[in-house]
Amino acid sequence: MLALEVNHINKAYGSHKALSDVSLSMPESCIYGLLGPNGAGKTSLIRIINQITAPDEGEVIFFGEALKAEHVHQIGYLPEERGLYRKMKIGDQAMYLAQLKGMSKADAKRELKMWFDRLDIGDWWNKKVEELSKGMAQKVQFISTVLHKPRLLILDEPFSGFDPINAAVIRQEILRLRDEGASIILSTHNMASVEEICDNITLIHQSHVVIEGEVNEVRNRYAQNEFEIEFNGSLIGFTTGLGPFFHLVSTEGEANHHRAIVKLGEGRKLNDLLKSVIDTVDIQEVKPRVPSMNEIFISAVSNVKEGL
Amino acid sequence: MNKIGLIVTREYLSRVKKRSFVIMTLVGPLIFAGLMAVAILVAQADQTEHNILVVDTTGIVTRLDDASGQYVPTCLDCFPEKDGYVWRFTNSQISDSAFIASDHTVMIELYDDLYLHKKVGLFYKKVPSISATSHMESNLERAVERARVVSEGVIDYEAYKRLKVDLTLNKVNITKGDSFEQERAGVGMGFAVIIFFFIFVFGAYVMRGVMEEKSNRIVEVIISSVKPFQLMLGKIIGIGLVAITQILIWVVFSMLIFGVVGLLFESGSLAGAMETAETMQAGQANMDFESFLAQQDGFKLLLEINWILMLSMFVLYFIGGYLLYSGLFASIGAAVDDENDTQQFMAPVMLPLMFSYFISIMSVNNPEGIAAKVFSFIPFTSPTVMMVRVAIGGVSFWELLLSLGILAASCFGMIWIAGKIYRTGILMYGKRATYKELWKWITYKN
Repeated sequence: MLALEVNHINKAYGSHKALSDVSLSMPESCIYGLLGPNGAGKTSLIRIINQITAPDEGEVIFFGEALKAEHVHQIGYLPEERGLYRKMKIGDQAMYLAQLKGMSKADAKRELKMWFDRLDIGDWWNKKVEELSKGMAQKVQFISTVLHKPRLLILDEPFSGFDPINAAVIRQEILRLRDEGASIILSTHNMASVEEICDNITLIHQSHVVIEGEVNEVRNRYAQNEFEIEFNGSLIGFTTGLGPFFHLVSTEGEANHHRAIVKLGEGRKLNDLLKSVIDTVDIQEVKPRVPSMNEIFISAVSNVKEGL
Repeated sequence: MNKIGLIVTREYLSRVKKRSFVIMTLVGPLIFAGLMAVAILVAQADQTEHNILVVDTTGIVTRLDDASGQYVPTCLDCFPEKDGYVWRFTNSQISDSAFIASDHTVMIELYDDLYLHKKVGLFYKKVPSISATSHMESNLERAVERARVVSEGVIDYEAYKRLKVDLTLNKVNITKGDSFEQERAGVGMGFAVIIFFFIFVFGAYVMRGVMEEKSNRIVEVIISSVKPFQLMLGKIIGIGLVAITQILIWVVFSMLIFGVVGLLFESGSLAGAMETAETMQAGQANMDFESFLAQQDGFKLLLEINWILMLSMFVLYFIGGYLLYSGLFASIGAAVDDENDTQQFMAPVMLPLMFSYFISIMSVNNPEGIAAKVFSFIPFTSPTVMMVRVAIGGVSFWELLLSLGILAASCFGMIWIAGKIYRTGILMYGKRATYKELWKWITYKN
């Protein structure tokens, strides 16, 4: 079953078009990257899924059912701009948010104790937010988001404000939640973390879906038929050996050791490339070059710009 | 509904537990009691000893008592020695320095042209209070009057006293058989001020509460669990309950303090009243008796007000007025990013609120004027103006029903509109809202 289906959603604020015919399908128990530059429409889409706003057109299917009010209890949302009541004790605050999500007092208390201990903040219960650092408050917010065991988690920039150690802790928790069955939408500008933990992605740009798919599949789709060759020998010899059918994209290295990126010409294969240089240099390693999500992001966004 | 309950509980408890609320709730009535105590002290300070020397070279009010060789008043009961008034008489002028050196606090000098100019000199070391001055004046007046009646010889003094007439206008509204309309309008104004004050203070709490949630960005987390409208309504109700709690505590406190103060002073004032009653029986109506009557009227006035109607109307109009204005305050809180931006939107809230206050003051002076009538139906002014009218009485049942009905309908309308502005406003950052924009928010579908 799909965790979430978004079908042909349109949303406009006055004359500003926030989402144009946006569709996506999110499998169950995966981490789904929701990408796009600022102002692309990600937050608008997230707010529609959270039922904070309603779409002008289109529908959202939540685990096979049309999205309805009761579903908010099965969704956990960590907004990008997030805060807590400054003067309220964090224990009380977490209890309040949990009860708003439909948890009973006893359940909320038990689960909170468990999570506070797990994230090493057990003795903070009676502290006020104004006494906490930003990273500490972020932990409380993360717990409040996941406490009611939502089937769908929406995390908007979940790592911002964490030091590297705590960011790793949170990443572990996100992966664990997925393994336990949660479906997670991860909205972020941090492409490294997308490659690291996302299973699928959708890239929204200027209110349109530009790319959708499984991460490795997307990266391979955007592969330019390029290979990275590491060799010992003369760079000039290597270059002359390439001939007209292979295009040298870039090189790096010094003296007798180089790493070159070569794009294959039309109809050529890796074997052809190897044949043409195998006599001139001593090949150490060859591997296909897959573009990083960062490159894909930049190229997709600038392509659309040129296209428009 | 359950979620609104959770929000109401949080809003209520987080405020009631605040130290500032506890302090204000406890200290408020104490400040009030303190003011009363000061007023009583000032009144008490009035009861200082007045050692009066009457210098009468004319012989109008004094004569030499042969037996004692002292000067005594010709009219013996004209100068009663009570309440700290001590009268001494002489027929020869004394020098200022002799007066200053003497025990006398006040020196009264009768001049030869007394009958012509009707002026008497009063010299003092410390200025006597207004009530002391008028007390001395009335005593002296009576003595001079007696002397004159006697000296004219046309009628004997006892007969004159019987014939003398002293009038008081006793106001009665012929249609209602009512005597204290304006005084009761004053009581109504008291209630109007309380409503005005609480709407203003607690409306501002609503506004700041909304702004707090918006600026610390918790609002997006909450409205992913509840509808924005529920959050707004929960906040308005929660803070309204805080206001009601404070009013109740103040009422109970004030009643306790009044009771204690009343007990402390009752004995003293009661004794005073008895004495005046005695002097009245002796046929000597004076200032004290009038103030005694006024006191009596004060009690009667309080008893005459329909307190059950008054208090139930107070509760209804307070709730209505609070809901109406807090909707406006919540909209402002949602529309702005920080406190500095609130100014541009405060006018539409403050103007009707101040206006209703002034109309209420006007209504006290002219409780049955057309303005008081009209504005007791307009929702923005009716909570305060109608309180004045209800206190006076004579507001018909259908008038109350209509006024409350209009107020209730306006509350629903206002909360609905506020909900629209709120829903859009709380998620809008970094943009200065204009009135045009607010109108767009109200007309958004979803």
